[in-house]
Amino acid sequence: MMFRLALLASVALPLPLVAQIRASEIGTISQTIDGTTLTVEYSRPRARGRDPLFGTKAVQWNEVWTPGANWATTLDVSRNLKLNGRPVAKGKYSVWMVVKQKGDWTVVLDPKVRQFHMEHPDSTVTQIRFPAKVDAVPFTEVLTWSMPDLRIGGGKLVMQWERARVVMDVEVEPSLVTTLPAGDAKPYLGQYTFTEQDSTGKPGKVSAFTVTHEDGTLKGRWTPDDPYMKKFALVRIAPDWFAPGVYDEKGQIYEVLKPDVVVEFTRTNGRVAGFVMRLQDDNLWGTATRK
Amino acid sequence: MPDMHIDLTRRRFVGACSAALAALLVFRRDALALSIPPHPTPRPGITAARVLTKQQLAATPKLIPLFDSVRAIPQIIDGIRCNCGCTDPPLFYSLLSCYEGNGMARDCFICQGQARLAVRLHKEGKSLAQIRAAIDAKFG
Repeated sequence: MMFRLALLASVALPLPLVAQIRASEIGTISQTIDGTTLTVEYSRPRARGRDPLFGTKAVQWNEVWTPGANWATTLDVSRNLKLNGRPVAKGKYSVWMVVKQKGDWTVVLDPKVRQFHMEHPDSTVTQIRFPAKVDAVPFTEVLTWSMPDLRIGGGKLVMQWERARVVMDVEVEPSLVTTLPAGDAKPYLGQYTFTEQDSTGKPGKVSAFTVTHEDGTLKGRWTPDDPYMKKFALVRIAPDWFAPGVYDEKGQIYEVLKPDVVVEFTRTNGRVAGFVMRLQDDNLWGTATRK
Repeated sequence: MPDMHIDLTRRRFVGACSAALAALLVFRRDALALSIPPHPTPRPGITAARVLTKQQLAATPKLIPLFDSVRAIPQIIDGIRCNCGCTDPPLFYSLLSCYEGNGMARDCFICQGQARLAVRLHKEGKSLAQIRAAIDAKFG
């Protein structure tokens, strides 16, 4: 009985925090992109006057080095994704890099997670290996992992230390397909008259709305332009239901307004006759009829 | 011999603690990984007895019709997962729970939107499966 009580207490009570001053403090970065989460856990070594670091006793050329310190840096991905075009299955890996004096470095993801930094793993068939470009950058004192670039389908995962910056392109599995085949788009194309309505159902502003198919994507646009949405993608989320995808200045979708706004096309005798726009609370924003 | 007994007991204790802790951590990880849980099964005999009344909604009269609509189809609303992210079992079983107790649907557009969509589609004759699919498309 005492044993059970002690066991219960040890699990239920919070453990005391233990402070420790480390040469390489532990850090974590985590980023979610369209439902896929990447987490890098690592110890963060400092240069501490060592310059250069690469190609020295600290990190030798051609060494299989973990970009961190102490226990190997780990990468945890919550769903399948691609790094520099190489498929990486959902799971957790220790991260290593073959450090080269010239040219690309080789990134090694090893499914054996718990490894000390001096255990430099041998090549195995279960590892994922791919080249990664190394840029020369201003001196970085503390080894840093980051995701400085994000887009709806991925981003850049970066490791930076000393004057080296290793960049990996991340590509996640999209939750939505933003394109629509021309044949599927055809029923919706045309001009509509859009009438906004207030919360009481009273009609308000009337404007023209055009649906086009460009670059493989169904697009909508008010005349005059809505200042935020401008010309936007209509991303299919269900039969006859679309969510607006808003473009950035480079023409890339950066936000899909779901569930904020849903465009529900209506049919009469099988033909698309108009649509309604509904907000997050499912109240009507407006109604459109085909011209 | 007594020392060995103590040693074995300690090992068992530490081993059991580690196993228990690991099980808790694994459970927590799995719970976090499931970003979209399945829709709940409507509870047999569920009623709308706990859905907030007109009197309880005196401060938000605009929402009375919505709560009344939910009250009319508890067996449907109880089969829908709430996607607002503010709900935790066992206090919240389904979207119906958001219209009971402290009535968090009073302040949550997601709860309101899901219920309005469910009510609208139910009036159109859609099945629970079809309503769930529409909820998933818009709010999932």
